[in-house]
Amino acid sequence: MSARAESDALHARALAFVEAFERGRPMPETFDALSVALARFQARRVGGYARLCAARGVDLATLRTAADAPAVPTDAFKMASVFAFDRTLATATFLTSGTTLGARGAHAMRELGTYDRAAVAFGRAMLAPGLGPSVPMLVIAPSPDEAPDSSLTYMSARFVRSWAEARPATATYFVRDGALDVAGLRARIAGLDPARPAIVLATSFALVHLLEALDGATAALPAGSRVMQTGGFKGRSREVDASELRGAVAAALAVDPRRVVSEYGMTELTSQFWEATAARPEALPGVYVEPPWARVVPVDPEDLQPVSPGEIGIARIEDLANVDSAFAVLTQDRVRRVTGGFQLLGRAAGAPARGCSIALDEMLGGD
Amino acid sequence: MTRSLAARVADVRRLLGAARRVHADRGALVAGLCSSTGLTPEGVELGFESLEREADGDDLERLVEAAGVARHVHVVLSANVFVAPLRAIALARAAAERVTVRASPRDPVLARALVDALSDPDVTLCDERDVRATGAEAIHVYGRDETLAEVRARARPGVVVVGHRAGLGVALVTARAPGDSAARLALDVAAFDQRGCLSPRVAIVLGDVARARTFAAELHEALADLSLRVPRGRLSPGEAADAVRWRDALAFAGQIWEGAGHAVGLIAGETLALGPSGRHVQVLAAPEPARARRLLGPISHQIVTVASDDSAAAAALGLPHARLSALGRMQRPPLDGPVDRRAAVAVA
Repeated sequence: MSARAESDALHARALAFVEAFERGRPMPETFDALSVALARFQARRVGGYARLCAARGVDLATLRTAADAPAVPTDAFKMASVFAFDRTLATATFLTSGTTLGARGAHAMRELGTYDRAAVAFGRAMLAPGLGPSVPMLVIAPSPDEAPDSSLTYMSARFVRSWAEARPATATYFVRDGALDVAGLRARIAGLDPARPAIVLATSFALVHLLEALDGATAALPAGSRVMQTGGFKGRSREVDASELRGAVAAALAVDPRRVVSEYGMTELTSQFWEATAARPEALPGVYVEPPWARVVPVDPEDLQPVSPGEIGIARIEDLANVDSAFAVLTQDRVRRVTGGFQLLGRAAGAPARGCSIALDEMLGGD
Repeated sequence: MTRSLAARVADVRRLLGAARRVHADRGALVAGLCSSTGLTPEGVELGFESLEREADGDDLERLVEAAGVARHVHVVLSANVFVAPLRAIALARAAAERVTVRASPRDPVLARALVDALSDPDVTLCDERDVRATGAEAIHVYGRDETLAEVRARARPGVVVVGHRAGLGVALVTARAPGDSAARLALDVAAFDQRGCLSPRVAIVLGDVARARTFAAELHEALADLSLRVPRGRLSPGEAADAVRWRDALAFAGQIWEGAGHAVGLIAGETLALGPSGRHVQVLAAPEPARARRLLGPISHQIVTVASDDSAAAAALGLPHARLSALGRMQRPPLDGPVDRRAAVAVA
C-alpha cells in the first residue's frame, strides 16, 4: 500500500471516531487499536519517529497499547520535519511562536479534512450546544489572511465557516495589524440582535486588552451568548489567571460565567480540549475534557511513566487525529487527572536556573 | 584613604593564600560540597582544580583595574560553580577596603571557607537579604537577570550595581584539532557537571556533517571514559526532566549518543538545540567560521567563552566580549577580571 493510501485509510479510521461522537454511537474500534496502527505507520514514514523508537528500545511489531509508544517532544517540531508525506503535499503548515533561538515549531498537514471535522464537532459540542446553525460570531484574533500560519486562527476560521452567520471579515475579526479594534467590536456588539445568542472567540491576551479598553464599562452580549478563551499557558498570557479572567470577562460582556469556556490546544496537535461548563451541568470550571479520539495522560517528567491518579505530571497527549505527524506528543504543560477530565496547571518550570547556568526553557523559549 | 595599586594587588594575593589553605584542607569540605552542589566527591575534586590559587602579576593588575573603586562592596553570590566565590571576592577586595559577602544559601561552603581562611576583619560574611541594610556603596551581584533586576530595584539611590549574568560556553573544533580534542572538551563539560557559565553546551565542528558525527562519537567516548573517573552527580528533578526531553527530541531530530551520565546530540541541519546542564552537548557542523557565526547568532549575547584549537577561527566568530581559551582550559581563565566580560554596571 502506498503511503498516501495508508494515510487515507488511517484518516478514515480517525474520522469514524468523530462521526460516532457526532451521532452518539459507540466508538468504531478501541483507542489502542488505532494508536498502534498510527505508531507503526509513523515509524515507517517519519524517520525521526523510527529513530526515537529505536533509541527507546520499542519494538513496534509487538506493540499492543498506545502507552507503550514513545511520545514526540514538542521541541522536536522545532528541530526536524514531523510529517509522513512528501513536503510538496502539505496543504497547510502551522507554526509555533518564535523563540530566543529563532526556531519555530512547524506542524505540516496534508489532509485538513480530519482537522476540520474533529475541531468543529467537539468545539460545537462544548461551546455551542443548543445554538442554531447560523450564530453571530465575533473573533478577537487576526483573520486567516493576517495570520495564515496560526493553528488557532485556522480553527477559529473553521468555526466561523461551519456555524457562523454570513458576515464580512471586517465584521467578524477584530484584531487587525496586531491591534484590537475596540470601537469596531463595541459597535458590532451593540448591533447584535438581543434575541440571538452570539459566540466570541478570543485569546486570553486579547481579552485582557479588551477589558483594559473597556475600563470597567460593559459591552453586553445577547442573553445565552458564549465566550471561548484560549492561550492562557503560552508566552505572556501564562501570567493571566484563567478563573480571574473568566469572571472579569463574564461581567464585562454580561455572560453567564459557565458560558465563558477555556479551550486548550497546541500547534503540534489536531484535536483540542475544552472546559465543559457550557455543555454539561455537572462540569466544573478549570476541568478540561477530551474528545473520544484524544486523551491526556499525566506522566512523570523523569521516566515518562503515567503518574498515580490525582498526581501532577506533564501532559503526554495521544491524538488519533494526528495521523500524518505524531500521534503521541510530549508537552511541557503540567496536568492532573480529576473527576470528569484534567486540570491544566501551567508550564513545567524545567531545570531551575541555578547560578549562572541557563535554564533550558529560557534557551528554547515557549511554544 | 585610597589604596595603591600594589596594596590592592597584595590584598588579592592574601586571598589567594587563603585559597591555597582551603585547597590544602579541601578534604574537610567534600561532604558539604557534595551535599550542596550535587556533585560526586570526584566531581568536587575536579572542580577544585579550577580554584585559583596562584596568579600572574600582570593578570592581577588587570583584575584590579577592572574592579573599580569603592569604599565598601557587598557581594551577592549565586550557587552552581562552587569555586566561583574566589574570583568574586577577589574583585570586590580589589575594589574596596571593606567587603561583605552574602553566600548563596544553597551553596555557602566555599565562600565561608575562604572568608574564614582569610581571617581579615575587613572581609566578612553577611547574611543580610536586604541589600539596603548593608550600607555598601557598590554591589556585585551574580545570578539570573531576575536576580540582578531585583537587587537593582532594592538598592539605595546612587549605589553602583555590577551584574554578572547567566551565560554559556561554546567549543569550536577545526580540521586541525589535535586527536585529544574530544577528551579535552569532555573535561570542560564534566567540570561542575556543566552548570557554569563557562561550561560548553554546544560544539561546532568546522567541516561537514560526517566530520561532526565523528567528533560527536569521540566526545561520547571521552565523556564515557571520564565518567568512570569522575561520575556525574545527581541532577535536580528539573534537570532530569529536561534531560529526558532533550534526549528524546535529539533522538527524533538527529542522532544521540547516550551514556549513563551524559549525552551528545547531533542534528544535521542548522538548528540550535542546547541541552540542559548535566553533561549534555549538542554538536553542529559548519563549513566555515562565518557559518558558525551565523549559527550562534541567536545566542551570541549569552556566550561567555569560546574554546578552540584555533584562536583565529575562534576570533572569527565575532564575539568580542567572549573569553578565548584552549580546549580543556575553559574552566580556568586567568584571574584578570570577571569571568563574564559582559558585566553590566548600573547606578541605582
